[in-house]
Amino acid sequence: MMTSRKIFSMKTFIFTFFFLALTHTSYATDCEKAKTFMSDMGTKVIALLTNPSISNQERADEFRIILEKDFNLKAIGKFVLGRYWKQATPEEKKSFLNLFKETTVATYASRFKDYTSEKFEVLSCQCEADGGVIVSSRIVRPGGQIIPISWKIFEKNDEMRVYDVILEGISMGITQRSEFASVIQTGGGKLEALNAALAKKLDHS
Amino acid sequence: MKSIFTLLFLLFFWVPETHAQEDAYTYMDTDEEPGVELEISPEELEEVLEPSPEEDDPLETLNRGTFALNNFLDEILFDHIAAMYNGVVPEFFRERVGYFLRNLSEPIVLANNILQGEMQDAEDTLRRFAINTTAGIGGIFDVSTDLDIPYKREDFGLTLASWGFDSGPYLVLPILGPSNLRDTIGRIGDYGFDPVNWWAFFDDNKAIYSYTRTGVQILDAKADNLGIIGDLKRNSVDPYATFRAWYTERRKSLSARDEKRTLETAKPDEEDDDDL
Repeated sequence: MMTSRKIFSMKTFIFTFFFLALTHTSYATDCEKAKTFMSDMGTKVIALLTNPSISNQERADEFRIILEKDFNLKAIGKFVLGRYWKQATPEEKKSFLNLFKETTVATYASRFKDYTSEKFEVLSCQCEADGGVIVSSRIVRPGGQIIPISWKIFEKNDEMRVYDVILEGISMGITQRSEFASVIQTGGGKLEALNAALAKKLDHS
Repeated sequence: MKSIFTLLFLLFFWVPETHAQEDAYTYMDTDEEPGVELEISPEELEEVLEPSPEEDDPLETLNRGTFALNNFLDEILFDHIAAMYNGVVPEFFRERVGYFLRNLSEPIVLANNILQGEMQDAEDTLRRFAINTTAGIGGIFDVSTDLDIPYKREDFGLTLASWGFDSGPYLVLPILGPSNLRDTIGRIGDYGFDPVNWWAFFDDNKAIYSYTRTGVQILDAKADNLGIIGDLKRNSVDPYATFRAWYTERRKSLSARDEKRTLETAKPDEEDDDDL
């Protein structure tokens, strides 16, 4: 009785161990690697945004390329729609993801248009319970003003990508989810309403 | 002056009606089959229309009215004053005014440090106040930050949060903007704590200093945030909801500063790689 119990618990132990090891490594993200990734990307983005010799159009196009490559826009788009993602049709989702990307490009292009000689510094990194990492960084503006920004990064299929941007402790994903939910609710629970609002915003910018 | 307040008071209760939500509910009440236009069932619609936790805003109609009023006041008055202040007064002097006002509020920060039982913070605040008031010439220079004692915001709202009080419903205050029930009580508490206000309270001739200070504080904050507030209003599809989320998240992050909190974020999943 004792032995069989022992064997059973040993089995359970081995099973649990492998199960945990397997599930845990699937999305576990390496901190140092994430810091290098963020430092490279941040430096690239700042160089792009502060380059005075390219046109606004070129800047937006370059930025779009970085956004598509280094951010998981589909996962972010899904998160910011929350429970409305499920109810939407594939066409609506596709149209939303495209509008979401374009409004993000337009927003950041206008937000950073006054940037001239900013510096981007990666400070630290910490592992999170969900398998991702948070890389803390800051932008130092020419006047000495400091803007703290953190980045939520996951590694999947050997590729690092950003899943959220946290500005002064405020998650952009959470605030956008709230903003979008409000528009969808006012529009009677339809994603169409949000798509229309985003398209309108894009026309005006 | 009295008539201005009466006007403000009346505007406060003038709330623009939103019909969209009502229309959705009206639709749900009919026995008609959901048509092609609406591809989800009424039950699902009901679930969808139910606000999620981060949108817990029972006073939304009133708040949206106050938000509209504040925007209107900003457009016709405050934005112009703030832009003029930014245009006429050089950045160097505006910074001095900002630091001076912040230094005057350090005693309240100290009181809140003590009420929260954060003695290390209390010591830092006391040192900041002493150094900036003397070496910083009455607080117009922030010498302490250069000495590695940076400013750490505290207020009675955050103290109440540290005592376990929930934020209560979200509130938009006239002129002052985003808040919630707890932070509004906190504001009143901070006002009552403030030695400058005590000093002014017992002498009507001195009340002018207290009013002037409050006025300059509002101006300083508005002028400082003119860019970022404009940015949020321009880039948002629903500025009211964006401000509400920013305020709520900011206060959460300030009150949980010392504890590690894992933010809920997007995560990788199997579906990400598919093309839609």
